[in-house]
Amino acid sequence: MFAAVTSVALVGIDPCPVRVEVHVGGGKEAFQLVGLPDTAVREAKERVRAALLSSGYRFPYRRLTVNLAPAEIPKAGSAYDLPIALAVLAASGMVPAAVTGVVALGELALDGAVRPARGGLGAGIVAAAAGFPCLLPPGSAEEAAVVSRAEVRVVRTLAEAVAAALGETAPSPPSPPPETASGASVDLAWVRGQALARRALEVAAAGGHHLLMMGPPGAGKTMLARCLPGMLPALTSAESLEVACAWAAAGRPRPIPSEPPFRSPHHTATPAAIVGGGSGVPVPGELTLAHRGVLFLDELGEFPPYLLDALRQPIEEGWVHIARKGIAVRFPCDVQVAAAANPCPCGYAGDRLVACTCPPAGVARYRRRFSGPLLDRFDLQVAVPRLDPADLCGPEGEPSAAVRSRVAVARRLQAERGALNRSLSRRDLDALQWRPEATRLLRAAADRLALTARGWDRVRRVARTLADLAGVGAVAEEQVAEALSLRAAG
Amino acid sequence: MSDEARLRLAFCGLHPDRADRLKRAFGSPAGAVGALASGRVAAPEAVRAAAALPFAACRERLARLGVTPLFRGGAGYPAHLADLPGAPDVLFSKGALPAQPGVAIVGTRRCTRYGTGLARVYGQACAAVGWPVISGLARGADAEAHRGVVDAGGAGVAVLGCGPDIVYPAEHRPLLESLLAGGGGMVTEYPPGARPEPWRFPPRNRIIAGLAGAVVVVEAGETGGALITAAAALEQGRHVFAVPGDVGRATSRGCNLLIRDGATPVLDPADLVASLSLLLGPGRAPAPSGPAPPVEGPGRALLAALPPGGAALEEAATAAGLGVAEAMAALARLEVAGLVRRDGGLVLPGR
Repeated sequence: MFAAVTSVALVGIDPCPVRVEVHVGGGKEAFQLVGLPDTAVREAKERVRAALLSSGYRFPYRRLTVNLAPAEIPKAGSAYDLPIALAVLAASGMVPAAVTGVVALGELALDGAVRPARGGLGAGIVAAAAGFPCLLPPGSAEEAAVVSRAEVRVVRTLAEAVAAALGETAPSPPSPPPETASGASVDLAWVRGQALARRALEVAAAGGHHLLMMGPPGAGKTMLARCLPGMLPALTSAESLEVACAWAAAGRPRPIPSEPPFRSPHHTATPAAIVGGGSGVPVPGELTLAHRGVLFLDELGEFPPYLLDALRQPIEEGWVHIARKGIAVRFPCDVQVAAAANPCPCGYAGDRLVACTCPPAGVARYRRRFSGPLLDRFDLQVAVPRLDPADLCGPEGEPSAAVRSRVAVARRLQAERGALNRSLSRRDLDALQWRPEATRLLRAAADRLALTARGWDRVRRVARTLADLAGVGAVAEEQVAEALSLRAAG
Repeated sequence: MSDEARLRLAFCGLHPDRADRLKRAFGSPAGAVGALASGRVAAPEAVRAAAALPFAACRERLARLGVTPLFRGGAGYPAHLADLPGAPDVLFSKGALPAQPGVAIVGTRRCTRYGTGLARVYGQACAAVGWPVISGLARGADAEAHRGVVDAGGAGVAVLGCGPDIVYPAEHRPLLESLLAGGGGMVTEYPPGARPEPWRFPPRNRIIAGLAGAVVVVEAGETGGALITAAAALEQGRHVFAVPGDVGRATSRGCNLLIRDGATPVLDPADLVASLSLLLGPGRAPAPSGPAPPVEGPGRALLAALPPGGAALEEAATAAGLGVAEAMAALARLEVAGLVRRDGGLVLPGR
């Protein structure tokens, strides 16, 4: 009189197994659904009843209790229809109990067809962990197919699902297509000139540093930022799966990526769209879509201050925490931030040929917009001047792949020390090896250039990355000097 | 001509041409003041009230502001200005006004890096040989010329287009204060309280030219204050220098036209000083600024390649034939040594 089928719910971006338990008991005819279901889940009983009848089964008009366990995780959507139907069939003895040895997910149509639902990737992950076959409708099955150890079967109707659960052969989904170039990424070879920005990008990639580029409109800041993902080391398979989970949780399934994602939210986006949230079960935002990749903030000066404030802590911690009545979730957001800004409202301050038309007070006001806590996180700040037309016809630059191999070496050295240079604290920096001349230059610079304590740390972090790129153990004077030129003001 | 009537007329804050017409019509400054105060000539209420202000009240107000009135032909009024037709009867001044003619360095407010950088180095060069540098305290070229004077520790004169109690633009107050602190002066023909209205600036330019023995226009479009100053200078028989610019660039068109019409083109600061020596007499040798700290290797190349208006690091690196990493390291060392400074993406010579 009892049966349970495994399905899946998301906690943050992580899929977590949900046991769909059904008890068929005596008493007045009823259909009780418990375990934090939302409205869509509640409506399952009508769909399940109709689908069972349409598929040639009886519906047990008895006291049916459906529990989605663990009860404290909120469940959303129509994906539990199929597991509920399977469990009802098993619990009422209409099909052998062996049908419950699966992970199932799918929305039922009234005629018994199974429709795709969110969570295919999660179902694949849960099924692989549990060692069960995974029954998924077309449209969801492709997502799960990327999980290498999952045994995925495509089912189009409830009857097919019962047959597949009982061991009859069902088709496997087509193997996922290899990821095609996303188009987001630009190869560094296409960037002409901009030697300084290229160097800054390489350093940013090597140390994971957040990077701010200032320059007039049309200097190529956006294009440079788009080069960054291609310069970063390729994602490991665990990281790729995390990224795929993050995207799936946001309702935007994608093939398993190998290149770090690149997201460029617009400055008019809402905090919920960028950080995550929304009504009902919170949905990850752009920050989480950029997890393990690059978050690019174009026109940083146009972002409202509250949005930049909202970004600061997640960027620092690598997690977005969202607490709601009864729900607290966290979404990962291990991102590297690249930002671009004009040097003044008209964009031409410091340009070689075009006079800036902004009143100095306006420029000062504009620059103040970037000051503050978020800007403190940008270890690198570089000017990106407009190109000389001669440079535009110049030779192609070094391709991303060449830079990526140097970055990989620098990253390996950091991995041996245990942390990316971006996240080195003052104590970590103090514990590093510094050549005496390097320390001397640092002190002189702190004195002469009025470096703040934070500015001093930023220079030291960048110097460490430069030393990693040069493959040296103790940071030398040369690297400190170069880091000073890459520093953010203050 | 009594000082009293001239001061009271100056306090009316009229356009100089109007004041001249009234003086001619009523025979004297006193007549003009009387006509204004009594309402025999139409004038705004504020002007009438100012004309009715007694002499003692004017003096008291100036004393309170720390402003000295200089009367044409009197003590302290620069003789080379007083000799000119149309020179103001009264100047309101603060600080020291040089007795000998100086160099006016002017240019457009909407200056490119080229103009601001040159204004500053010319300001420095002229101040270093002891010539007073006169400019208009405006944004862009004027302010940079004044800054150059402050850099060199010379005496600069700011000629305002508003009352002596107003600094326009307001963000140049610290600059004006450092000019005054450095032994320079500030002068205007407008009375306390006169707002910086657009019509006040063109007549102001004849004072800039009048205080100078030569006018240098660093960057100017086809129209604008700098060209008015140049025209005034020619009228007054002053020599005009202009810095040549790109012929296709609108912001240099005024200068290029001046050169076509006979202005002397200016090359580097040394060239300017040499040309000016013929007009203003030899300046004193620039104070030796101590032995320059030895700079070797890439730093020296970078420093040599840096134009006076500054350059983006990349431009400087390319000009010095350095790799970008090498140039960055060299730049930081120069910066720590106080030989260059950075402003946004620009690298500028000097501290």
